[in-house]
Amino acid sequence: MTFLENKWFLVSLVVLCWAISTSFMAGYYYFQYTDFYAKVRGVIISANLGINYGNSSEVVWFNNTKINAGATLLDLTRLVASVNYTGMLNSINGVPNSYPKYWMWWTWSGFGWSFGSFACDKYIVGENETLLWYYQDVSTWPPSPPP
Amino acid sequence: MDYLTKCFKMKPFKIAIIGTLVALSVATNYALIGVYNVKLIDFIVFVGGFCFGPLIGASIGILSWLIYGAINPYGFVPQVWLTTMFAESIYGIVGGFLGKSLASTEFRGQHIRLSVFFATMGFLPTVLYDLVTNIVYAYSFDVPVIVALLTGAPWTVLHEVANATIFGVCSVPMIMALGKLPEGLRHDLLRK
Repeated sequence: MTFLENKWFLVSLVVLCWAISTSFMAGYYYFQYTDFYAKVRGVIISANLGINYGNSSEVVWFNNTKINAGATLLDLTRLVASVNYTGMLNSINGVPNSYPKYWMWWTWSGFGWSFGSFACDKYIVGENETLLWYYQDVSTWPPSPPP
Repeated sequence: MDYLTKCFKMKPFKIAIIGTLVALSVATNYALIGVYNVKLIDFIVFVGGFCFGPLIGASIGILSWLIYGAINPYGFVPQVWLTTMFAESIYGIVGGFLGKSLASTEFRGQHIRLSVFFATMGFLPTVLYDLVTNIVYAYSFDVPVIVALLTGAPWTVLHEVANATIFGVCSVPMIMALGKLPEGLRHDLLRK
C-alpha cells in the first residue's frame, strides 16, 4: 500500500480522528452548557458593581444588586446605570470614551483587581462577585489597577 | 447461498479459528463488563477479518454479538441487538479489506507507521459503529437523535480512543502471532 509510505496521509488520518473526537466533545459541552443555562436562568443571584468616574478614588457602589443567573456584566451595568452600547461600551451615565480615557472593567478576587480582558456582554456575572467600571487613562498599557 | 457454500467448504482449521475468536470476543466482553466502552471484541473481530477475509471477519462480529447480545447483563432490546450485531461486522469487513490490501505490500521497518495506521483504523470504524448504534438507540427509546449523540459523546470518544489505543498497540503483534499458525503465512506482514 503506497499510501502508507506517505507520512502526510497518516498525519491526515490522525488529524481527522482528533477533529472528530474534539467535535464530539465540543457538542457535548455545548449541550451541557445550554441545558445548565436553561435550568439556572430563573435563579436570582447578587453581585456588587462599582463605577469609578476617574476623578478620584471615589467609587459609586451598587452592592447586592439582584440579577438573573447567567446575566452578563453589560446586563448588570444596565440595571444600575444608563449605558450606551453599540457592540462596544461607549458611555456610562453620559460619560463617553474619549482618548486617553476609556471605560475598563475589573473583577475583584483574593489577589486583588483583575483586568477584564474580554467584552462585557460576554462576561457572565458570578454569585456575590464584585466588579468595577473604571474610567481610566489607557495611553499606557497595561492599564493600572483601580486604587 | 454463496456464503453457505463457502462455509461448508471451509477447512476445519478456519472453523476452529472462527469459533475461538468468537469465544474470545464473548469472554472478553463479559470479563470487561464493568469497564464501559473499553472492549477487546472490536479488535478481535478486526483481526479475524484481517487474517481470513471480510466475510469471515463480519461473521465473527455477528456471531459474537448474537451470543453476547442475547445474554446481555445490561438488558435485551431486539432492535439495538440486531443493530449492534450488524454494526460489529464493520470491523471485520474493514479488517478483511485491509488484510487483502496489505497482503502484497512490504512492511519491514514500518511498525510505527503500521501502528499509527491501525490506530486510525480502530478509531474511524468506531465512529460509524457508535453513530449507527446511537441513532437506533435514540429511535428505540424515543430520544431526539441529536440529544442521544451529544449526551453520549464522552462515551463515544472513550470507545474511539480505547479502540485506537488497542488497535494501535496490539494489531501488529496479534497479526504476527496469528501468522505463525498454519495458513497464516499468506500476508507479507505475517512472514516477519
